[in-house]
Amino acid sequence: MSEFERRGFLKASASLGALGLLASGVPAWAQGSSDARASEVLQKQIPSTGEEIPAVGLGSWITFNVGQDIELRNQCADVMSAFFDAGGRMIDSSPMYGSAQDVIGYGLDKLGARDRVFSTDKVWTAGDGAEQIAETSDRWKIEQFDLLQVHNLLGINENLPLLFRMKDEGQLRHVGVTTSHGRRTEDLIAVMKNERLDFVQVTYNPIDRKVEDYLLPLAYDRGIAVIVNRPFRGGSLTERLEGQPLPEFAAELEAKSWAQLILKYLIAHPAVTCPIPATTKPAHAAENMAAATGPLPDEKMREQIAAVIGVLV
Amino acid sequence: MTEWWDYGLADLLLFSPRVYYRLFETMNTTWWLVVASALIAGVIASGLALRHGFRGNRVILVLLALVWAWSGYGFLWQYYQPINWAVPYLLPAFALQVVLFAIFAARPLPLRFGWRGDLSCYVGASLVAFALLVYPFIGLIEGRDLVQAEIFGSAADPTALGTLGFVLLSRGTWRWVLLPIPLAWCVISAGTLWVMDQYVAYLMLAAVWVTVFCGWLDLKNGVTTKRLTEAEIRDPAA
Repeated sequence: MSEFERRGFLKASASLGALGLLASGVPAWAQGSSDARASEVLQKQIPSTGEEIPAVGLGSWITFNVGQDIELRNQCADVMSAFFDAGGRMIDSSPMYGSAQDVIGYGLDKLGARDRVFSTDKVWTAGDGAEQIAETSDRWKIEQFDLLQVHNLLGINENLPLLFRMKDEGQLRHVGVTTSHGRRTEDLIAVMKNERLDFVQVTYNPIDRKVEDYLLPLAYDRGIAVIVNRPFRGGSLTERLEGQPLPEFAAELEAKSWAQLILKYLIAHPAVTCPIPATTKPAHAAENMAAATGPLPDEKMREQIAAVIGVLV
Repeated sequence: MTEWWDYGLADLLLFSPRVYYRLFETMNTTWWLVVASALIAGVIASGLALRHGFRGNRVILVLLALVWAWSGYGFLWQYYQPINWAVPYLLPAFALQVVLFAIFAARPLPLRFGWRGDLSCYVGASLVAFALLVYPFIGLIEGRDLVQAEIFGSAADPTALGTLGFVLLSRGTWRWVLLPIPLAWCVISAGTLWVMDQYVAYLMLAAVWVTVFCGWLDLKNGVTTKRLTEAEIRDPAA
């Protein structure tokens, strides 16, 4: 058993499963607390600042890239509205996502929700990162981002110092890096070990579990918050599970769908701060947020979830 | 560290089929008169191209230049660009294709369109007919509304497919210059459609393959290398 597991994971997970709350044996930043005003949505702490954010966020990859289509833009705003109403805060985007940043800016305008959002975006260029960040800021119509990340480590030698400089100058609150699909793990590990990151973003779900071996424990030990992308494998995982009956133990966790079961699997991991599922449906946004309420699985249940899903897909 | 070549095709697809096909719906309803005019231009061009020895070669080339200009501005720039950051890099190719058609139309000896009765002609005519008459209805098979039809002259895919057919129906030196851009578009679009699980991707790739094959046959048979004779220049109907 690793040091990571000994010190936190098993105790925390077991307690979560039994009580729906994180327990002793886990560092303060990895613990959650309930917030009655946000419908008892589990909050997780960002280790570097102690700030709490809801344990489920909202991604925008593909789903929010709807161009100028006003009908689809309004549908995205409805998704954001349902997300905020259910207690959500973190919305993540990237300059790579086509019109998604504009659509988020439109939604924030329409909902008057700039004070509610935990704004998360990326810099994705090997060229002028400062120029791209300024453009991103214009699209969100926001002056200071809560978190900016180097997208897929692209141009990291130029962009990471830029983000740290912005943070030091008070123009940015948190700095992170992202990868997806398990790419460039060695490079990511090097950055996590050598830089004072606030966040790291990785792909993680009950099928893609490689990060459990080393990356998540490393993030835990280094006090780096973890955002999980592709929790549903871009939708293909929940599509393949559609129509399959939920396992009996899902009722114990108050999980009413496969999506909720998967999200509970993820947020029960003590190193995970916030999965960011994307959706085009307001009902799904609310359903995803509800996964951050009620009991969470313990270690044994997490293994059961992974095993059941592994057999079905 | 990660560089551009680390990205796979699926990583670069950033929109859903729902959003993609809504582009055509919005375009067709907003610009219906221009969309209909561009289709009619294609029908006229095909009528001219399939008539043996007709004198309207320059008209065909001008019509093709116009539909490429409209497809580039109307579809790519107005509708596709907001959801696909790669479009600004592709637009110059559309502009170049317009210029190439214009140059061929202005040449003292333009391309000569007409029915030769060889394999390339059959394939060319099939591609033109497919692009004009069949492609708009393909979406019905997939359960999409007709209002989302991709129409020749406006939507880029049928415009590129039809153009391959028109070029195969032509003869004259340097004809091949008109092929790379529509061929490249078909390959790029096939990649997009394939990632979106759209079976029409295979049709696009099949059109590329058969066009290249026919182009090679024509090269071998001298269709694209032999200069027109003096008699043919004096009497295009000959």
